[in-house]
Amino acid sequence: MFRNILKKGRKLAGLGGLVAALTVAAPAMAQDKEPIVFGGSIPLSGVFAFAGIHLHAGLTDYTDWINSQGGINGHPVEYVMEDTAYEVDRSVAAFKKISGSSSPATYYGDSTGFMKAIASELNSMGTTLMSGASFATALTDNEQYPYQFIPGPNYSQMFGIILEYIASEGEGGDMPTVAFVYSDTEFGKDPIENGKARAAELGIEVVEEIVTKPGSVDVSAEVLKLRRVRPDYVVFHGYVLSPINEFMVQMRQMGLDTKFMGTFWSSDKLIIDKMGADADGYMGVMPYNYYDSEESGPMLDALRAQAEKSDPDAGYRPTGYIQGWFNAMVWTEVIKRTLDAGKELNADNMAEALASIKDWDTGGIIGIPVTVKDMSFPVGRIWRVNAEAGRYEPVSDWIHLD
Amino acid sequence: MDWLFFGEISLAGLAMGGLYALIALGFVMIYKATRVINFAIGEIMMFAAYLFLAFAGGMELSAWIALPLAVIGGSILGGVIEKTMIRPMLGESPISVVMVTIGIASILVGLVEFIWTADPQLLPNFLPREPVFIGPLYLAPKIAYGFLIGSALLIIYLLYFRFSRGGVALRATASDQAAAYSMGINVRRVFNLAWVFGSLAASLAGVLVAATGGLSPQFGIIGLSVLVVVIVGGLDSILGALVAGVFIGWLETVAGAYLGGEYRMPATFVVLAVILVIRPYGLFGTHEIERV
Repeated sequence: MFRNILKKGRKLAGLGGLVAALTVAAPAMAQDKEPIVFGGSIPLSGVFAFAGIHLHAGLTDYTDWINSQGGINGHPVEYVMEDTAYEVDRSVAAFKKISGSSSPATYYGDSTGFMKAIASELNSMGTTLMSGASFATALTDNEQYPYQFIPGPNYSQMFGIILEYIASEGEGGDMPTVAFVYSDTEFGKDPIENGKARAAELGIEVVEEIVTKPGSVDVSAEVLKLRRVRPDYVVFHGYVLSPINEFMVQMRQMGLDTKFMGTFWSSDKLIIDKMGADADGYMGVMPYNYYDSEESGPMLDALRAQAEKSDPDAGYRPTGYIQGWFNAMVWTEVIKRTLDAGKELNADNMAEALASIKDWDTGGIIGIPVTVKDMSFPVGRIWRVNAEAGRYEPVSDWIHLD
Repeated sequence: MDWLFFGEISLAGLAMGGLYALIALGFVMIYKATRVINFAIGEIMMFAAYLFLAFAGGMELSAWIALPLAVIGGSILGGVIEKTMIRPMLGESPISVVMVTIGIASILVGLVEFIWTADPQLLPNFLPREPVFIGPLYLAPKIAYGFLIGSALLIIYLLYFRFSRGGVALRATASDQAAAYSMGINVRRVFNLAWVFGSLAASLAGVLVAATGGLSPQFGIIGLSVLVVVIVGGLDSILGALVAGVFIGWLETVAGAYLGGEYRMPATFVVLAVILVIRPYGLFGTHEIERV
């Protein structure tokens, strides 16, 4: 009896040992494969640092998470980055350095300027697929930028989603009027012409266009111009916070009942945190679910768990964090599809894999299955600030542009 | 032409110009007394605005306690900069001193990013929010009250320069350093005083401008806009700083309203180019003749 128990015990111990050995060996086996490198020119300092630190956290946490899942088809992932201070020359230098030393399969670009500047070199290298912080419409030109993509809708598509929402709010053929307020930068001007064309198609009158300097600026004269045309909606683009707050506060002080909307970089919780009750009612287009939304899904849950694990005290993670995570998610999907097809991991094959993404379930990061079109993910949803609850709440269904 | 609209735009521009004049005053005071072109003036403004944020936002002090504390903090910063970084440069070439001020600007940007992070910020509301009407003309309340507070400091300064011993010493040193020294004026102390008072004016303007347009580590760039004001007015002319400040503020706003926001800066630079051609030393600046 005792001998039998001992025998079974030895067998169990042996089995346990085998399981333990395999558990230890599995990552080691993954480590045996050549690592896949995610490169990045990351703005940890400079004017874009407020977002850069969160983009970096998203990319870092995703890399840790995917490695904890065994990497990509058994290949461990390495994330190699350099701070660029959001300066194009430093971003280019970082790219050259990382490309020379680590041969990244994919790369995070910190600005439209950098992504345009590096395009010819990227095209001639033919080894790396790039995406990043930019949602610039120009980068979806497949002829000029065949190896770059947008991790969401481009700015023109964001305007398209906003305008579709505004058109849907028109009652009995009485279409709302809109004013565009944008910064005097390449970023600010990006979607304006396409936005005006789309508004005309939808029968929405653009009653005013206001251009301002970005950031800290007095806008009382511009507010006076808007008072004369009394738009139903003002759409902001090319800002992060200021001067959106001043437009909203001053126009409300004048008794206008205009509604205010913005694009990705001006639709984070920063607006709520800094403006408080004044932010109530502000709306933004967002391709991803917010970190603190009530939505869920396996990947969104994994993101929240990893964020909690990496920094338990951080609390809410900004949209930049989710954007960084989603970039790396797309890279992983593209690399996986390329490897599964038995193809070499080069820019052509990865771009082809990207273009093949159809009805992709992002596990809750985006609320509906997404299809890549012209190197972008033309999907988004309108969210409105509930200042009392301190968060954005959805006010539209997910809108996937055809 | 809609004269009501023009009147409102002009009023907004003049009020903003008042704040430009205040910043320009800080710039000119330092230059007039010490002959140093202070490229860190915008960053001193920024630092004071962040101090206000820390006192009123972080420590939740009353804004009316936080405002003087922040302004005094900014002026102390100016004094410390002069004593530790500018004074040792006495006798060095002007370019070297200018480079030091540029370096100081970078250090201050790094410092605020380190302390307050790079996130854009809004200052706690401390100015009345009820719309201001002057007759039928609307004026944004923050601009109106900012202008009033700035004007109060301007008047105090002008009275101080005119009637106080310190003000007379400052003006004497600005006119002729050697003569002032021979008359027993402590010129080094006057240099320090100029930095303290110049930084104080800039600090108050910094808090008022940040209350209107928000705050970020890049806020100091406004200091460069004010460079146009002081060159137009005359680098060494307080009257020039006041007149050019108000004029450039008005011009920027009117150009922005009628031509579009992208024409604000070009409009002021056209004026700058014209002034440089006609009067290279500015509208009210001193025409110095150097004999070799």
